[in-house]
Amino acid sequence: MILSPQAREKIVAAAKQYPQVKSAILPALHVANEEHGYVSDQMYREIADLLDLKCVDVAAAASFYTYFPKAPRGRYYIQVCRNISCALLGARHLSTYLQEKLGLKELGETTPDNLFTVVEVECLGSCTTAPMMQINDDYYENLTKEKVDQIIADLKSRAPGR
Amino acid sequence: MQTKILTEFVTDPQQHRIETAVSRGAYQAWEKVVREIAPDDLIELVKKSGIRGRGGAGFPAGVKWGFVPRQSPKPKYLCCNADESEPGTCKDRVLLENDPHRVIEGMAICSFAIESHQAFVYIRGEFVLAARRMQAAIDEAYQRGYLGKNIFGSGYDLDMVVHRGGGAYICGEETALLNSLEGDRGVTRIRPPFPAVEGLYGCPTVVNNVETLSALPSIVNRGADWWAQLGTEKSTGTKLFSLSGHVKRPGNYEVEMGYSLKNLIYEKGGGILDDKKLKVVIPGGSSTPMLTPDKIDTPLDFESVVTAGSMLGSGAVIVIHEETCIVWVTELLAHFYAHESCGKCTPCREGTQWMYEILRRIEHGRGTMEDIDTLLDLADNIEGNTICPLGDAAAVPVISSIKQFRDEYIYHIEHKKCLVKSDFRLR
Amino acid sequence: MADFEITIDGQQVPVTKGQTVLEAAQAVGIEIPHFCWHRHLVPVGACRICLVEIEKFPKLQPACATVAGEGMVVHTDSPQVIKARQGVLEFLLANHPLDCPTCDQGGECELQDVAFKYGLDYSRHQEPKHRFLVGPESTFDDLRIGPEIIRSQNRCIHCYRCVRLVNEAFMEDDLGAYQRGCHTEIKPPPGGEIRNLYSGNLVQNCPVGALTSSDWRYQVRVWLTKQAQVICPHCPDGCNLKLWTYHNRILRATAAGNDFVNDGFICDVGRYGYQFATSPDRIKQPMIRKAGELVEATWTEALEYIKSQTNTLKSKLSGSGFFGLVGESSTNEEIYAFGRLLRRVIGTNNIDHRLGRKRKLSLGRQVVERGIGSDTIEYADIEKADVILVIGSDLHAENPITALRVKKAIRQHGARLILANPRPTPLGIRAAQVEVIYKPATEVMFLLGLIAALISEAGKKPEAIDLEASPIEEFRSKHESSGQAAAICGVAAATLEKIAATLSNAENIVILTGREVEQHPYRDSIYLAIGNLQSLCRSACFAPMPTDSNSRGASLFGAEPDLLPGGVSVDDKAGYEDTWKGPISEMVGKDTIGILDAIAEDEIECGFIFNTDPIRVFPDGNQVKSILEGLKLLVVIDSFMNDTARIADVILPLSSSLETEGTVVNWEGRLQYSQAAIAPLFESKPGCEIIELLADHLGVKFNQPTPTDVYREMIQFLNGEMPAQTQAIGREGVLIKSTEKKAVPDLADIKYTPYSEDNQYPFVLLVGNADHHRGTLSEKNDSLMKFTSEPFVGINAAEADKLIVANGDLVRVESRYGKVVGKVTILKGFADGQVLVPDNFIELCPNLLMGRQEKVDLVKLTKM
Repeated sequence: MILSPQAREKIVAAAKQYPQVKSAILPALHVANEEHGYVSDQMYREIADLLDLKCVDVAAAASFYTYFPKAPRGRYYIQVCRNISCALLGARHLSTYLQEKLGLKELGETTPDNLFTVVEVECLGSCTTAPMMQINDDYYENLTKEKVDQIIADLKSRAPGR
Repeated sequence: MQTKILTEFVTDPQQHRIETAVSRGAYQAWEKVVREIAPDDLIELVKKSGIRGRGGAGFPAGVKWGFVPRQSPKPKYLCCNADESEPGTCKDRVLLENDPHRVIEGMAICSFAIESHQAFVYIRGEFVLAARRMQAAIDEAYQRGYLGKNIFGSGYDLDMVVHRGGGAYICGEETALLNSLEGDRGVTRIRPPFPAVEGLYGCPTVVNNVETLSALPSIVNRGADWWAQLGTEKSTGTKLFSLSGHVKRPGNYEVEMGYSLKNLIYEKGGGILDDKKLKVVIPGGSSTPMLTPDKIDTPLDFESVVTAGSMLGSGAVIVIHEETCIVWVTELLAHFYAHESCGKCTPCREGTQWMYEILRRIEHGRGTMEDIDTLLDLADNIEGNTICPLGDAAAVPVISSIKQFRDEYIYHIEHKKCLVKSDFRLR
Repeated sequence: MADFEITIDGQQVPVTKGQTVLEAAQAVGIEIPHFCWHRHLVPVGACRICLVEIEKFPKLQPACATVAGEGMVVHTDSPQVIKARQGVLEFLLANHPLDCPTCDQGGECELQDVAFKYGLDYSRHQEPKHRFLVGPESTFDDLRIGPEIIRSQNRCIHCYRCVRLVNEAFMEDDLGAYQRGCHTEIKPPPGGEIRNLYSGNLVQNCPVGALTSSDWRYQVRVWLTKQAQVICPHCPDGCNLKLWTYHNRILRATAAGNDFVNDGFICDVGRYGYQFATSPDRIKQPMIRKAGELVEATWTEALEYIKSQTNTLKSKLSGSGFFGLVGESSTNEEIYAFGRLLRRVIGTNNIDHRLGRKRKLSLGRQVVERGIGSDTIEYADIEKADVILVIGSDLHAENPITALRVKKAIRQHGARLILANPRPTPLGIRAAQVEVIYKPATEVMFLLGLIAALISEAGKKPEAIDLEASPIEEFRSKHESSGQAAAICGVAAATLEKIAATLSNAENIVILTGREVEQHPYRDSIYLAIGNLQSLCRSACFAPMPTDSNSRGASLFGAEPDLLPGGVSVDDKAGYEDTWKGPISEMVGKDTIGILDAIAEDEIECGFIFNTDPIRVFPDGNQVKSILEGLKLLVVIDSFMNDTARIADVILPLSSSLETEGTVVNWEGRLQYSQAAIAPLFESKPGCEIIELLADHLGVKFNQPTPTDVYREMIQFLNGEMPAQTQAIGREGVLIKSTEKKAVPDLADIKYTPYSEDNQYPFVLLVGNADHHRGTLSEKNDSLMKFTSEPFVGINAAEADKLIVANGDLVRVESRYGKVVGKVTILKGFADGQVLVPDNFIELCPNLLMGRQEKVDLVKLTKM
């Protein structure tokens, strides 16, 4: 079992909210993702077994959405908004700046210390506070170089073992 | 004149808590509805207010509710569409995060009108804070008896569930939202049947936008006439505009319908960033046609924007200044639509990707003159031929930018580079 | 009847309410291209190739998903439609690999056909084509996604027919669409394969070459093949197959469209089960036993040998010293001619076809006289039913296409399926509303409990029962309560009440029984109980499913000791003597049990066994073998070397069913004509020709060497109009109706005697088929062996724990009659004290464990 008993409890509880159990697929994926930072085939199977659903439905649904990485990623998952409002205010530069700063050769890479993964994503709905990025659950808005430096420094200092 | 209605309290960091919200009148309209207003009268009230859907299509909300077959033995559902993902749009998030009780109250009112006992709020997955705030607010509302069983002793029950999306723009389209909520892939469904008749789990369902629903408490409290006299004759009330891009003061501004585009950009937004020249405005989110500076005086209401050659859409005004390459902008948007196509119908699945690839080629200096007409023709083959409006949305920026900036495309192809370099740096 | 008209391209087109524009157009021959539309699936309007212009509509509409409305004016060829259609085609072809020269679908590709007709001869697409790669280093996109299915995702046009078929029509769960947009791909679930029983239909229904079957790939261009219409020999569903041949080789089978029967689908056993024709087990030429060894011989030698041996025996024995057994997968003509050989030429009525487990008796008179089970049910009745009650049948495995009809009824109008079996069956998980597991051999009690519940339900709602026909009070007085019955059959009283409520509310009930009942020692009691149940329901019809592909034909065409062809009693033989030009015996012959006993008593010394293997299928195979070994002459006419043939004195090589034309009767009673797909292989000859040769050598010439000849004579003994020639039998076939009689309920007649348990043999033996198998014929098909090739012994996890065995460990299964050894497979949902042994593997013969007289077969398991 990859999913913890607590996660399984949450999933079962979520399923009770819906007239049909299948609706709990997305909530279950969120629970798994929150616990592990990604959702794997094995987790699809566990979710399907837990909710008595078809594994194919869980896996096919999961693959449709971009929010659930399939493989482990860095402790801080940085999603840089690349869409229009952010792009007009330097989003491209933001992601190259982050890559350079973190020493990443390309998008999707994780730093060797497993702290940071940087990806570009489509509009995150924070257009009036562009440019912006999401790190794990949190939005970081109206970014400037200074702010980015500060955020990265803070996250590094917060990381365990430092 | 006071135009902050929906956003009146959003700047108060305590507004999301029920004590604060109730002290400012939250749930009064809800109580009034449950105690005093019959569902049919409520639908009439909303029809009379003239409020139209704030999600993009602008369909009159009351009329939509009226399509729900009242005699149906099946349960009825309300889905609040909080899958705000149209580039440029971030107005719903403000309400969800900062005044969730207003959203809940609006959802409750709508549920009562369509005699639904189960409402869902579909919040895009990335809006973690919004989902937390909404969940906390719903929990508070249950504790105070505004939700749950036998509300206000009336015998009316209502349950409300926060459902988080998983990162798919298409799920803002109502049929895809329903599929996603049912646990399926968020692909669209053909219509008919319309959701009002056969929606969630095959039952009658209303899907309304956050902003639309959030207006309801005020409409109930202050009357349909009060709302109807705001704005213009056919576009009543106030509207939230997300002003973004090259402006000095970007932000969400609530103004009356009919407020001029120019005032929004120059008065509210403080003018163009770095006092550059305005090149183009996308007035209603990325899927609406671009307006050139000569249309700057257009009043922002459903009809006027159409007359100007675009659409009010979700009210996301994206301002673009002179140092921006239009091919680059269009490629950016084309990439978005190709990335977000659900893949169900052919023209959208194949066409969005193809258009993006041609635009990428032109942007990288490998375009040919034929590409311009091919793009227009591909867009034409997509537009109107897809299951849902995503295909149209993808075609619009391509058609609109080529029509208005054909010379810039030609320059790009001939010189194998941008006419103006869109080199935007972090500050 | 048309409800109204619409106009399509200026033509007035009649429309039935609810019809789509596409269906209305198709009905009058107006072609509208389509890809995603499939007549068995809910329209999704996805491919957009069927866009048409409808006046007053703001946009083009998908014809497949637009319900025709009165007065609609539709244009299928306006400039706007043509442009959109060409646009869609250009989009579809943009990323399509256009590898037509090496694509198996060439010649039958819907994309090719539509592009040929409506497409442009150029494309504006210059971008690198989007490629799905199978592995990081591979540019070749063939991916095996099932034992027989290969996916070439790049060819896929995303019509989603396959995924929708799996979900909607088959109610399976082994295929899905993944990712989104132009990256959408079709795949089984993670770590899985497509291996549902209907998987081959996905290949057949793929409009392009995205899904191909490995048996057919790269064999031949489709236009070089010949096709034959054949009735599937594997089960009594009677599916219509199309066999595609090239130079007398069968290269594939597809479902032939026949909506009366298989509705456009076939199961994988039928689809891949043609390969037995060239199996290494085929008997290639006649053989004669010389000095204890079977040696190859010529036809003349073999026939002369039989003649001389038979004549010697005949001089000392009367006809009653002979017998014949005939297999239930033989054609009607073979069965008829074989019976005639026995009765007229050899002079005996010792003939039978009933060789299945435990089955020894004809239906009791009581059952026959009441006409229970003689309602003529067709597939269409299943489709219309609102409640389907299946008792003692693994319908999914035994009658896969019937099961599909049940699913269709569920899908189309929410029919409720109630399954009652001694073990969980696949249909339970997939489609049943109620799945009941009763204790083995308690079917009668289950039914009595149901009847009691139905009576008390009637107390609540008297209008639900036809009181005239049902003497309720009498019922009640004789009857035990549902609670008592529940305790015995192990089904909760509440469940029985729930089922009774469902039944009493139903308008059209279909009751089906299967193998477990058919071969049950209490079969007649079960049938009587069902007869009673029927009379308590408003409208219930009942069909007992036969076991083999032509079981019904065998009893209709004279393969039973007491009945002549057409079901006429042997003492009413005059008409037959006229036709057969000679005398026949009026003595009722012996049935299979009687024959075996008579051989053991040396009353019978010579036998002809046609197309069957009693040692393999009859209970207590070891004993059957030793009895048959006592014969002076055993002639086996068969296509495959089997246990019975191995002890034969003479073997005549029989052409397989795919090399023989003839008629067969499916479970409905539908007589259908099956073509010969290929010419006889090796030295084999078709059955009718062999029987004519034998008759000739034994002294009577019928001059009927072909099935066509035999058919012409045979049909005169059937009631009702029959087409004079096999060629005149249409697609619908001929439904042979039995006389209908209303059953009169009389519970006093229904007996239930519990079997006695035996501490020494604590397990109850259940027999079924492994996934993708049926009988021993399926094992001779390489494709089917890819699905399941390992014999197994199935028990639940608790029993496995007790035995300290895990999946794959060897166990010995032993009864007082014999023993077999197999690998353990742990089965979910299985009750304690039950063991499932499949009977389709040569290496594992559950019939060795059975006793002829046993009510229930009890066995013990030992870890090896």
